[in-house]
Amino acid sequence: MGEMEQMKKEAEALKTQIEAARKAAHDTDMASAASGVAPAPRVQLKTRRTLKGHLAKIYAMHWCTDNRLMVSASQDGKLLIWDSHTGNKVNAVPLKSSWVMTCAYAPSGNLVASGGLDNMCTVYNLKTPVIKTVKELDAHTGYLSCARFLSDTEILTSSGDTTCVLWDLETGKQKTVFLNHVGDCMCLSLSPDMNSFVSGACDSLAKLWDIRDGQCKQTFQGHTSDINAISFYPSGNAIITGSDDCTCKMYDIRADQEVISYQDAALNSGVTSLDLSASGRLIFAGYDDFNCNIWDSLKGEKVGVLSGHDNRVSCTGVPGDGMCVCTGSWDSFLKIWN
Amino acid sequence: MDELDETQLKNHVDSLKQQLQFNREKTSVAILELTKWIEEKMNEDPFLNPDVLKDNPWVESSKCVII
Repeated sequence: MGEMEQMKKEAEALKTQIEAARKAAHDTDMASAASGVAPAPRVQLKTRRTLKGHLAKIYAMHWCTDNRLMVSASQDGKLLIWDSHTGNKVNAVPLKSSWVMTCAYAPSGNLVASGGLDNMCTVYNLKTPVIKTVKELDAHTGYLSCARFLSDTEILTSSGDTTCVLWDLETGKQKTVFLNHVGDCMCLSLSPDMNSFVSGACDSLAKLWDIRDGQCKQTFQGHTSDINAISFYPSGNAIITGSDDCTCKMYDIRADQEVISYQDAALNSGVTSLDLSASGRLIFAGYDDFNCNIWDSLKGEKVGVLSGHDNRVSCTGVPGDGMCVCTGSWDSFLKIWN
Repeated sequence: MDELDETQLKNHVDSLKQQLQFNREKTSVAILELTKWIEEKMNEDPFLNPDVLKDNPWVESSKCVII
């Protein structure tokens, strides 16, 4: 038997052993464990602001840590910085490439980043008298699907080239390349303690990585199509994923397995984006069917829906203080709800 | 796995060996602690505790006055 064949067999055997180890740890499921918990109340939210200004599909948005400003990215070739309280545009950043797929706000509020089909992550300084491009991070060989700042000196990116990369913003060079996915990486989420992150990919797997040693620590399976959205639980011990298979799933990190799936026979649209309420009890998930559904994360039931967009909800974000949820859509509008 | 070359496949197998070593917690313990954590935080969750949302920055707190 050739070397390759041998290794493939070994890989399959290891996967079987991992599944067996998971089964051995599975002595209860979420339905039983959460049976004593009262169901979450029905959630009915109002649109508090509709942010108008983009001229084409919105692909991404990200809140600033001040819980007031946010950045949005549209294929009209602009990043817009909004004051969500007033609804005013604070800044507009023209992009070299209009094929943008992601945007991010640095925790300091000083920098924003964007990227997309140009395969690059461009970082801008908002605090200079005129907004300046401070770095163009150019090493991915596929589209940039997601970017998240760790600080003003480090940023994580995920790419259609199947890798995630940690960059040094002072040198503009790659610090660590995270290799393990076999499909386009579509999304990433940093752990609350910033020591690890999770990524979701078109290989229908979610992976947990150690930021410092670059290793894939855990792989979460169960989805049957591309994972488009992923988020760490505020506790750091679980993750939620959203997929083109029309479901969201919760994976417990310590038990290393799926513990509940959020799905509905009537729902046959893919999940594009998601975020969690401050306690993690509610999941806000944006779908291709123009709605954002609200799920009770412990009971697995839908407890509300945000309807109001005239096209696909492409991005969803809850600010750090949990005071509202923002949805962005291909209809070119962003809405703030609470 | 068919797309991987020999080096990539070897790394893949090594990674799987590492991942197998992970010390899995029983779901009864892990889920219970997760549930407890969420329940404790629900009091501070603006969507679940209307008191927290009393100072809603997106709702006018006083009436408009026509001058």
